[in-house]
Amino acid sequence: MITVENLHTYYGNIHAVKGISFEVRKGEITTLIGANGAGKSTIIKTIAGLLHPKVGTILYDGAPIQKLAADQIVRLGIGYVPEGRRVFPVLTVDENLEMGAYHRSDKSGIIEDRDRMYEIFPRLKERSKQLAGSLSGGEQQMLAIARALMSKPQLLLMDEPSLGLAPILVKQVFEIITELNKNGMTILLSEQNARSSLKIAQHGIVMETGKIRFADTAKALQENSIIQQAYLGVG
Amino acid sequence: MNTTSIFIQTLIGGIGIGSLYALIALGYSMVYRSMGLVNFAHGSIYMVGTYLGIIWYTGLVLGLHVSYPVAFIIGVLLNGLLGVLLERIFRPLAKLDLMFMLLGTIGLGFVLDNLAVIIFGAEGFAVRSPLPNAPINIAGILVLPQMLLLICVSALLMVGLQVFLSTTKTGKAMRASAMDHDIASAMGIPVNRMNALTLAIGSGLAAAAGILAAPIVYVNPAMGAAVGLKGFAAAILGGLGSIPGAIAGGLVFGVVEAISAGFISSSYTKGIAFFVVVIVLMLKPSGIVGETVIEKV
Repeated sequence: MITVENLHTYYGNIHAVKGISFEVRKGEITTLIGANGAGKSTIIKTIAGLLHPKVGTILYDGAPIQKLAADQIVRLGIGYVPEGRRVFPVLTVDENLEMGAYHRSDKSGIIEDRDRMYEIFPRLKERSKQLAGSLSGGEQQMLAIARALMSKPQLLLMDEPSLGLAPILVKQVFEIITELNKNGMTILLSEQNARSSLKIAQHGIVMETGKIRFADTAKALQENSIIQQAYLGVG
Repeated sequence: MNTTSIFIQTLIGGIGIGSLYALIALGYSMVYRSMGLVNFAHGSIYMVGTYLGIIWYTGLVLGLHVSYPVAFIIGVLLNGLLGVLLERIFRPLAKLDLMFMLLGTIGLGFVLDNLAVIIFGAEGFAVRSPLPNAPINIAGILVLPQMLLLICVSALLMVGLQVFLSTTKTGKAMRASAMDHDIASAMGIPVNRMNALTLAIGSGLAAAAGILAAPIVYVNPAMGAAVGLKGFAAAILGGLGSIPGAIAGGLVFGVVEAISAGFISSSYTKGIAFFVVVIVLMLKPSGIVGETVIEKV
């Protein structure tokens, strides 16, 4: 679905992604794991169109998208759940969802999807008229996911969705991701929580300082002794 | 005539001139919060907007004398269009340091002021009010009809702006893009177009203010300097970037100015009004309304 070839992206002056190639297959969860600063977020932002690569191509269903702006990328069916949630704080929950569906014009479809989001995330329904900035971290994460889903994506980019959440909420977020994938959503998931993300993913990419260290099936990576020691905390 | 009615009369005058400042302050605040840019050309944009409307009314173009409301609408729309062009000029500026914004927008202001001198001459002119010139008497209080028109139309515009921003999809998208450019664009919101719309609205409101005030003030190419400065002070007073703040700041500034002119001395008006701004900012640096800071849980 997404083919990244020889991607080099600079974050300011920092050469954050140094010649990376990988593939995200339709219907799968592919997870990018690695420490802080490994370049995971930069890759996600480059695919979302918020950063543009200096070198390399990103093919989406065969067509190059690396030069498109973020507001065009979302129209192609690529949804984005940003790191740190970044909901619109002074808009209500309802309005945040409405903004997620900005490029759509099918009014009844938008309302249907919003109601579906409220079924999946009942907490958001209770707070639909509240300002998003007043929600708890977990609720904001749910809102960030729901907002991205409102654009009707084929592919969901998720940047560190478990960051800063209490363990019980982390579990819930991973359950939601699994559920979305079961219903056919292709997901590229960037995570520091390697253990949980490899458990739900089909493929994994391990990054270190802007380069790919390992890329394999999630199962193989879980059994790799180097990864077990460095990322999964297995002695 | 007793003191109370003189006071009320002064107050109404203050609200009138304050509405003018509020409309100007809105332009500063809206552009600041959506682009992070302080537009020091805004006073000149107000002047240009006044001309763009008034020239059709006073017969300066091909001897045309359209009616005042039509001239008002033409001026607001043309200045809005100018705002859209300004977005193209400001786009690179908004990414630079304050110093460059300052120089760039002040420079643009000079260009506009001097273009106005070249086209219309440095001499100004008085504009005849579309309404009767004699003050009307409401329960012993004398008010100029044009002043009442200024207050009512400004109030309508401000209410309209709030309704637009809080209920329409485009208004919400403008607010979203002001809050977070990157995320707004990742949601599919064309951020540059939202900025252009913001500048168009700000410039349109400035034109509205100028055309409404034209029969009360003297129209000339230098008219933007003082009003631009006071509008900016009003925006800061209310809390730069806040829409209710711009309105409150403008009204407070106008009322303080009118009361000090009426009851203290008209020579010290400006000094007193700016002194009040300084005092308020010392007590509350974020301005009267300030930015809504939401406690993150």
